[in-house]
Amino acid sequence: MKRVIVACGSGVATSQTVASKVKRILQEKKISAEVEAVDIKSLDRHVKNCDVYIAITKPKTDYGVPTLNGIAFLTGMGMDKEVEKLVEALK
Amino acid sequence: MEVLQHVVQYVLNMGASVFVPIIMLIIGICARMKLREAIGAAIIFGVAFAGMNLVVGYMLDAISPAAQSFAKNTGISLTAIDGGWTTAASITWAWPLAFLVFPLQIAINIVMLLFKWTKTLNVDMWNVWGKCFVAVMISYISGSIYLAFVVVAIQVIVELKIGDIWGREIEDLTGIPGVTVPHHMTLIASLLYPIDKLLDKIPFMNKKMDAEALKEKLGVFAENHVMGAVIGFLLGLVAGYGISKSLILAIQAATALTLFPMVSKLFMQALSPISEAISEFMRKHFGDREIFIGLDWPILAGRNEIWVSAIILIPFELLFAVILPGNKVLPFGGIINLSIAVAVVLLTRGNLLRMIIYGIVTTPVFLYIATFFSPYITRLAQETGAVKVAEGTMLTWSTIENGEFKFAFAEAMAGKWWGMLLSVLWLALFALFYYGRKKDNAAYFGQNHKEHVADVFKKEQSL
Repeated sequence: MKRVIVACGSGVATSQTVASKVKRILQEKKISAEVEAVDIKSLDRHVKNCDVYIAITKPKTDYGVPTLNGIAFLTGMGMDKEVEKLVEALK
Repeated sequence: MEVLQHVVQYVLNMGASVFVPIIMLIIGICARMKLREAIGAAIIFGVAFAGMNLVVGYMLDAISPAAQSFAKNTGISLTAIDGGWTTAASITWAWPLAFLVFPLQIAINIVMLLFKWTKTLNVDMWNVWGKCFVAVMISYISGSIYLAFVVVAIQVIVELKIGDIWGREIEDLTGIPGVTVPHHMTLIASLLYPIDKLLDKIPFMNKKMDAEALKEKLGVFAENHVMGAVIGFLLGLVAGYGISKSLILAIQAATALTLFPMVSKLFMQALSPISEAISEFMRKHFGDREIFIGLDWPILAGRNEIWVSAIILIPFELLFAVILPGNKVLPFGGIINLSIAVAVVLLTRGNLLRMIIYGIVTTPVFLYIATFFSPYITRLAQETGAVKVAEGTMLTWSTIENGEFKFAFAEAMAGKWWGMLLSVLWLALFALFYYGRKKDNAAYFGQNHKEHVADVFKKEQSL
């Protein structure tokens, strides 16, 4: 199954908020994928085996996977665009 | 009336892991969630409590004997075990009145937005727990629930005001416009502000250090399991455990630190539908004004200065814990001091050197405040039954966010004159910071915020 990861400071609250939201959106679209919230300190380990990385902080390096703007999911502004990108990346 | 009392008592007696899910279920249904989803969220909440109980219990079982052995060997008594913020959040959610803070925060935010007293729309519902924590601590220390909520109201107001201040800075640090972090952990910045202005006069303090390079070298040490193992091993050694038992403690400590955030996530999973519903509501009614959307601090987590300074502080925390007279706190779960790191990355605009200095200077403050609150935190854990604390030890949180505010107002509400003095002083310093920083920002950023936002939108539209 395709894997989506969301990273934030401690992997608890903010990334989980986005992860839960993304899960719900994917469920509505009947797309099955694993969505996991991780803490940014362990990002390098997790990003190696994921298909999409939803970033809450602007990443300075290219991890080689489609990287989306997580803030859009938190503020709602520009979220639809990111959802489109997400669906594309999970095909 | 008596029947109602019996029913409520019956429910409360089942402990946090049952009655909080029941409250969640009721709130979920009121928020028009589908019944199945509401039940699901309620059960996850119960699982979160039971899970947290498991992990904290495991940690205390491993660490308390080591702490006690350490005390016997050295005469240094560090019997307040630091469960970190995840433990504090867990026992706070178990407090019966916790949910009252949600409507209080939302109401105050709406009123302040309506009267244009703030530009910040705080959609961060997770950190309501921090305000519940303030409420329960003050209710214990002062004996009054009403005074406790008065202080919560004050905190919500100053949070929104500091949210207004940080907005532009956060855009500078993260590249994200229109957001801010109205988090109470940043309030300590107002106390450090006068010192910061003094440091401005020293040329050496204005140099910028390269956080990126430092982070590469220190990076792996920051991972929970590595940190836990190192601290566990060191603790074993000073407790006189010998190599093999220290190695066992190392793994146990690593386990606890790794599992804490994993189980905490469950709280957020349970809360997220409700939090989303509230955020949507707030956005629908205020979203089209010139506002800052208030989010949780992790949007700043990409700034390496935060991690580098927090890691560098670790040995200082351990050192201070041991040498400070009267300190009872064994730093562990809260040892990565994000409370200060986030506050000073904003205050100093990412100046790593100043961040480290502030970190070192405030560490004793954090430890003493944690010592002060440990009996109350222990009491909350015991009264809610959320976590079992062994005899002769206490539970605490070594890096309490906005602890000085909590301490000052708690003592004030308890009628102590020094508390009232400190509270007034706190408010005065905040006012000084608010007006001073506004002027600084105008000079530093060179233009009025409205013009700036217009510029940013123009740029985005042309992309």
